[in-house]
Amino acid sequence: MEPVVTFREVTREYRTAGGAVLRALRGVSGEVPAGRIVAVTGRSGSGKSTLLHLAAGIDAPTSGEVVLLGRPLAALPDRERTRLRRDHVGLVFQFFHLLPHLSVEDNVLVPALVAGDPLREAAVRARALLERVGLEERAGDAVQKLSGGEMQRVALCRALLRRPRLLLADEPTGNLDEESGERVMDLLLGLARDEGSAVLFVTHSRELAARADEAWTLHSGLREP
Amino acid sequence: MRCSPLAALIAATLAAAPAWRPADPAHRWELPRDHFAHPDHRNEWWYFTGTLAAVDDPARRLGYQLTFFRVGLSPEPPALDSAWAASQAVMGHAAVTDLRSRTHRFSEVLWRASPLLGGFGAPPGPGVAWARAPAGTPGRWTLRLEGGAFHLAMRDDARGIALDLVARPTKPLVLQGPNGYSRKAAQVGYASLYSSYTRLATEGTVTVGSETLRVTGESWMDQEIGSSQLAPSQVGWDWFSLRLADGRDLMLYVLRRADGSVDWRNGTLVARDGAARSLAPQEWSVSALSTWRSPRGVTYPAGWRIDVPGEGLRLVAAPEVASAENRSTLAGGISYWEGPVRLTGADGSAAGEGYVELTGYGEGTRPPL
Amino acid sequence: MRRYLVRAIAKELRASRALFILAVAGVALGVGSVLSIQILNRSALGAFAGSVRALSGEADLSVLGWAGFLDERLLDEVLSVRGVAAAIPLWRAEAAVDGRTDASLELVGADLLQAAVRAPWRLPEGGLGDALTRRGWVAVTPALAAEMGWRVGDRIPVSLGSRRATLVVGALVDLQRIAPLASRRLAVMDIAQAQALLGERGRIHQLDVRAAEGVSLAELRARLEARLGGRARVLTPEQRTAEAEGLLAAFRLNLTALSLVSLLVGGFLVYASVRASLARRREELGVLRAVGATRAQVLRLVLAEAALLGAAGTAAGIPLGWLAARANVAAVSGTIRNLYLLEGIEAVTLGPGLVLLAVATGVAGAVAGALGPAIDASREDPRALLASITLEERVRARSGRTLAAGLAALAAAAAAHVALRGRWAPSAFVLALGVLVAVPLAAPAAIRLLARAGRPHRLGVAYGVRTLGARLGSSAVAAGALAVAVAMLAGVTVMVGSFRGSVERWLDATLRADVYVSTPSWRRARSDATLAPEVIARLRQAPGLVGLDLLRQVQVQAAGRRISLSGLDGALPGGERRVELLAGDPAAAMAALRGGAALVSEPLARKAGLAPGSRLAVRGPGGETALPVAGVYRDYGTEGGAALVDLSTFARLFGPGAPSNAALYLAPGADAEAEVLRLRAALRDHAVQIRSNRTLRGEVLALFEQTFAVTRLLQAMGLVIAAAGVTLSLLVLARERRGELALYRALGATRPQLFAVFLGRGLGIGLVGLALGAAGGAGLARVLVDVVNPAFFGWSIALHPPWGALGGQALAILAAAAAASLYPALTASRTPAAELSRDAL
Repeated sequence: MEPVVTFREVTREYRTAGGAVLRALRGVSGEVPAGRIVAVTGRSGSGKSTLLHLAAGIDAPTSGEVVLLGRPLAALPDRERTRLRRDHVGLVFQFFHLLPHLSVEDNVLVPALVAGDPLREAAVRARALLERVGLEERAGDAVQKLSGGEMQRVALCRALLRRPRLLLADEPTGNLDEESGERVMDLLLGLARDEGSAVLFVTHSRELAARADEAWTLHSGLREP
Repeated sequence: MRCSPLAALIAATLAAAPAWRPADPAHRWELPRDHFAHPDHRNEWWYFTGTLAAVDDPARRLGYQLTFFRVGLSPEPPALDSAWAASQAVMGHAAVTDLRSRTHRFSEVLWRASPLLGGFGAPPGPGVAWARAPAGTPGRWTLRLEGGAFHLAMRDDARGIALDLVARPTKPLVLQGPNGYSRKAAQVGYASLYSSYTRLATEGTVTVGSETLRVTGESWMDQEIGSSQLAPSQVGWDWFSLRLADGRDLMLYVLRRADGSVDWRNGTLVARDGAARSLAPQEWSVSALSTWRSPRGVTYPAGWRIDVPGEGLRLVAAPEVASAENRSTLAGGISYWEGPVRLTGADGSAAGEGYVELTGYGEGTRPPL
Repeated sequence: MRRYLVRAIAKELRASRALFILAVAGVALGVGSVLSIQILNRSALGAFAGSVRALSGEADLSVLGWAGFLDERLLDEVLSVRGVAAAIPLWRAEAAVDGRTDASLELVGADLLQAAVRAPWRLPEGGLGDALTRRGWVAVTPALAAEMGWRVGDRIPVSLGSRRATLVVGALVDLQRIAPLASRRLAVMDIAQAQALLGERGRIHQLDVRAAEGVSLAELRARLEARLGGRARVLTPEQRTAEAEGLLAAFRLNLTALSLVSLLVGGFLVYASVRASLARRREELGVLRAVGATRAQVLRLVLAEAALLGAAGTAAGIPLGWLAARANVAAVSGTIRNLYLLEGIEAVTLGPGLVLLAVATGVAGAVAGALGPAIDASREDPRALLASITLEERVRARSGRTLAAGLAALAAAAAAHVALRGRWAPSAFVLALGVLVAVPLAAPAAIRLLARAGRPHRLGVAYGVRTLGARLGSSAVAAGALAVAVAMLAGVTVMVGSFRGSVERWLDATLRADVYVSTPSWRRARSDATLAPEVIARLRQAPGLVGLDLLRQVQVQAAGRRISLSGLDGALPGGERRVELLAGDPAAAMAALRGGAALVSEPLARKAGLAPGSRLAVRGPGGETALPVAGVYRDYGTEGGAALVDLSTFARLFGPGAPSNAALYLAPGADAEAEVLRLRAALRDHAVQIRSNRTLRGEVLALFEQTFAVTRLLQAMGLVIAAAGVTLSLLVLARERRGELALYRALGATRPQLFAVFLGRGLGIGLVGLALGAAGGAGLARVLVDVVNPAFFGWSIALHPPWGALGGQALAILAAAAAASLYPALTASRTPAAELSRDAL
C-alpha cells in the first residue's frame, strides 16, 4: 500500500528580508504510511513546522518532492492542491485558531461549510466527535467560554470532521498545561487510530514523541538518521 | 496719470478737428448775436471776475469769478432719440474770495449739454448758458443777457457759496486784437475771437458760508471763441485784467513754454473813454516778484511788477489772498490760480484792482485747449 | 516616537501603496464633494455682487424703480438732495446677441461723461469722445471678446425685444479687474446710445448715488426717500445684494441641504479611509505596546497618522472639489439666470473660508474618524492586537440601541417639524434630515436581520451575505452610508419625477395657444423686450386666427416682495383656460380680472398669505395700488411669485407700452407648424422667436430639467462615495480577518470561494443599503413633495414615482456594490494559508 505522504529530498529555503538565505529543510526524505503515527521533534527552528506545511500543501519545497496520496503536490494547480487538503488533510494548530463568532459546534462544522457537505449529516458527525472528546454538552456554547484544553479538543474535532487520511498537528499541546496536553494527546492518538488516519505531529516533548509509532528528529533542517 | 475726461474729450474730438470752424480774422461782429454761443467753434467761454463790497459794510470786500465753458464734442449733433444725445458739454467754474477772512472757495460743474443738465441759448435769449447746480444743490447756474445787462447766478450748498449778480457794462465792448482776432502763438491757426467788457457795474447778493451779503462793485467780462488756442509748445498762460484807478484798463497775457520762457504775449490798453489800443510786446513788461507754493505742491508766481513806460505806468500787482487756487476734480485734476490783485503805483499809492489767472503751472495742469 | 512615525509612514507607503492611495483618495472624494457644493453655493451670488461692485463700485446708494424702471427726470431731484456728491443714471437691459445661441450682453448705458470721473473703471485714452459720438459704440470685457472672437471695431448685431441694433466694439474694459466675479457679459455704452438704439426716450433703470464725505448714509437715504416720495426705492449695495439673496434663498437653502448631506457622506468616507489604514496597522500597534509604548504614545501615533492622511487627502480633494464645481457651473448658472433673472455664476472662487472648510472636513474628519479606533487600539490588551482572529462583540450588542436612537431621531425631527412648521421654513429640512439620520442608524439591525435569514450551507456568496453581521462595525457603516446615498437618490428621483409630472399636466391644461411669439432677449429682459407694433400687426394677419393674446410683463415690488406681474387680455374668448385655478370658476375669475382684479400664483398666495378676497398691493411708478385678489392659480414657473392682471389694469399701473409676448389661437384644423414657418419668414427682419405649442412645451420642460442638474451631481457623487465606502469597508474586513481567511484556506477553501464570500459581503451591504435606502427614499420623497416644495417654493405637486427609473437605479446600485467589492474580494482571496501558522514557525 502506498504511503499517505512521502518526502523525497525536500529542501526549503527562505529568502530573508536582508537577502540572506535561510534553509529550513535540507534534503529531508521520509514517508508516512496509512494509519501510521509519526512524531517530528527537534529544536526551535529545526524545520518541523515547515515540514508540516509542506505536507499540507500550504507551502512548497524549493527542491525535492512532496507526494500526498500518490499525487506529487508540485504538479498540481492551487485549486487541486486546495481540494486535496480540504478532502484528505486535517489540521490542528498550537493556537487552536477557532472562529470566535461561531459556537463550538459551528466551529467543528466549518470544514463541511468550506466543502459544501450536506450540513445535516455533517452535524451528526460533529456531535459524535464532540461526544467522543467529552464536549457534547458544550456544543451550543461560544468558544471563548472554553478552556485552552477544551478549545484544542474542539479544534481536533474540526480536523477530523471530514475523516482525513492525514492528520497534521503542529505542537498541539504547546499551548496547554501538562494535564490538558496529556488529555488532548490521548484523544488525538486514540481518534486517529479509530479513524485510521495517519498522523504527522510536531512536538518538543520526548515523552509525547515516544507515544508515536515512529519519531523523526530534525536538526538544522537535516533529518537525523 | 489719471486720464482727464476733458482731455480725452478734446483729444477725441481733435481727430474730427477739420470739421470745427477756426477763429476767423474777418469775423463779422454782430451784437448781441455774438454774446451767445457759437456751436460751430469747439470751445467758448464767458468769464466774469470782479471785486465787490458789502452795501452795508463797504470794508467787507469780496472777489468773485464765474465762468461758463462750452466744450464741443462733435460738430454735428448725434442723430439719437434721447435727451442725453449731446454734441457739447457745459462746464462751470465759480469762486468767491473773502478778502476779510482771506479764504477762497471754488465750485465747479461739468455736464453734457442736454435738456436735463445744461445748455446754451441763442438770440434773442435771454438765456446765454446754464448748467445744473452741482450734486447736492437744487437749481441751476445761469448766465442771462437781459436789457443789456448780464444776470449771473450760481449756487453750491456743499461749499457754501452762491452768487446772484447783475453786471451792466459801463464801457463799450473791446475787441482784443485786430477785429477781435487774438493770436496766441507765432504759428498760424492758434487764435481766438476775443472780446471784453472791461468795466461792468455790478450789484446783487453773494453768499459765503452762512452769510448772504448785498454787494456792489465792478466786474470784468471776457468772451473767447475758438477751436485751438494753445500751441503744442505752450503749457499755459499768465493773464491780467486790471482796472486802473485813473479810469483806464489794462489787459495783458503771456503764453509760456514748458521751461518758463515766453512764447507769445499780447496786451491792450483801454482809455477812460473806452478807446482801445493794442500794446506791442516791446511797449510793456511783466516780472514776477515772488512765488507761492500751493497745498497741492504747485509753485505759482505771486506779485508782479508791471511796466508800460510809454503810458507812464509803473505798477505793482499784489495778490489779495495768496491761496486763490482753483482745484478742479471734474476736469481731470486741473488746477490754476485765479484771484483778485491790488495795484499800487511807484509811490505806493493805490492804483486800482484786477484779477490774475495763472494756468499750466505744475504737473499735468496744461489746459486741454 | 516621532522618528518612529516618520519611518512607519515611509514603510507603509512602500508596503501597501494601493491601500494608502485608496485611503487618500477616499478622503479626497469626501472633501471634494463637500467643497464642490459649497463653492457653487457661495458663488451663486458672486456675479450679482461682483457686477454691482464693478459698475457702481463707489456708489453708496442706488435709486431703483419699483417696477424696474425710472423716469430719467428723477435725476434732477436726486441731485438736488443735500449730501449727494454724484448721481449717475444707468440704463440696463440684457440684449441678445443675434446669431449666437444663448449669447447675451448685460448692457449698461451710463452717462459716460460723468462716469468717466466717478466710476471705478476707466475708458482707454480717447475712448470717451468715440463713446459719445460713434454710433453703436460699446465697451466689452476682454474675457467676453476673447470668448466671442471680437476685436475692437467689430460689429455686433444685438436685439432687445423685436428690435435689432448694431453695436460696435469700441473698447475693451476689464470690469472683472475691479470685481473679479463681475459678469464678463457686462458691456458699457453711453446712455444716449442705449436709449436711442435699444431703449426708449426718458426711461432709465437705476441712479447710482455717491454720498458726499462725512454724510450719514442712513440720513441721506431718508432724505432721498422723502424727496422721491415713494416714486422709487433707495437701496445700499448691501441691500441690493441682500435682496438678491432673498430671491435665491430657497434655491440656496436647497444647495445647503444637499451640501450637508454631502458632508455627512464625505465625513463617512474619511472615517472609513482612516479605519482602513488603521486595520493594516493593528499588529504593529500591538508590537509597539508590547515593547513598552504607552497608550498615550500609541494614541498620538495613530492620530498623527490620521492627520497626515487627512492632509494628503485634503490636498487632493480641494482641486477635485474645484473641478467638480467648475463642471457644474453652467447648470447652476442657467437656473439662476433663467428662473431667478439674476446674474449667473461668472467664475467660481475658492476663498480662505472654503479652504478652511475643506481642511476641517479632511483633517478634522480624519482625526475624528481615527479617534474611536485609536482609543480602542490604545486601550486593548496588546495580545488582542497581535492575535490574528479578533472579536467585535460590542457593536452587535449596540445594534438595538442604534436602531432605537435612529427612530428617536426621526420622531424628534417629526416633532420639531410639527412644532415649527409655518413659523420657521427650514423645519421641512429638519424632517428630511431626520429621515436621513434614521436610515443609517437602522443599518446594524438590518444586517443582523440578514444574518438570521438562515444558515448558509457552503462557503460562497450567500455565506458572505449572511455573515456580514460578524463584522458589524465596518459593514454597518458602509451599508448606512450607502443607504443614505440611496435614500437621497430615490427621494430626489421621486421628487423630480413628481415635479415633472405635475409640470407636464399643468402645461397640458394651460398651454392652449397654437403659436407663441416672444423675443430672444425676453427671458432675461422681460418688460424691456417688447414686440414692435409692426410685428403685432403682422401677427393679426395670420390666416385662421381666432384669437391673439398679448402679454406684458414686469418685475415689480408687490406684497413686500419682487414678483413677476403679467398683463393679459381678460376678454380673450376662451381665455379662462389659460389658467388653472386651485379653486373657483375660471370664467368668473376672468370677468373679475377685466374688472380690475388680480389673480395670484400659488407660490405668491402661500408666501404672502393671499387668498381670494384679500388685496395685492402693487408698487407702480405712480405709487401703491391695492388690487382685489380674484383667485389663486397654479404656477411652476416663478418660485418668487407671480400675478396676472388685465392689460387695461397693467396700463393703468405702468403706463402704456408694447407687449413682450403674443400667443395665436388658430381655427380648428389649422396647421400650427406651417403657420410658424410662414411667420418666421414674414418677420425675418425682426428679432422674434416663434414656436409652436409643442416646441415651447419641450423648451419649458428642458428648463425645469436644468434646475435639477445640481441635485443629480450630488446623487452621482453620493453613489461614488458610497461605492468607495463599500470598497474600503471590505478592505478593512479583508485585512482584519486575515487570520480567519487563512484558516479557511488551510481548511481547504479555494480562492474562488473566498472571492465569492467577499462578493457576497459587498452585495449584502448593497442589499441592506438598497432596502434601507428605499424605505428612507420613500420617506424623503414624501417630505420633499408634500412638505419642502409647498413650504419653500410655494407650489404643490402630486406624487408621480418614476418606477422605471427607480428600478434601473436599484440595479445600478447593486452592480456598483458588486463592482466595489471586486478589489477587496481579490485581496481576500489572495490571503495565503501560511499566514495562519506564522506564529508557530
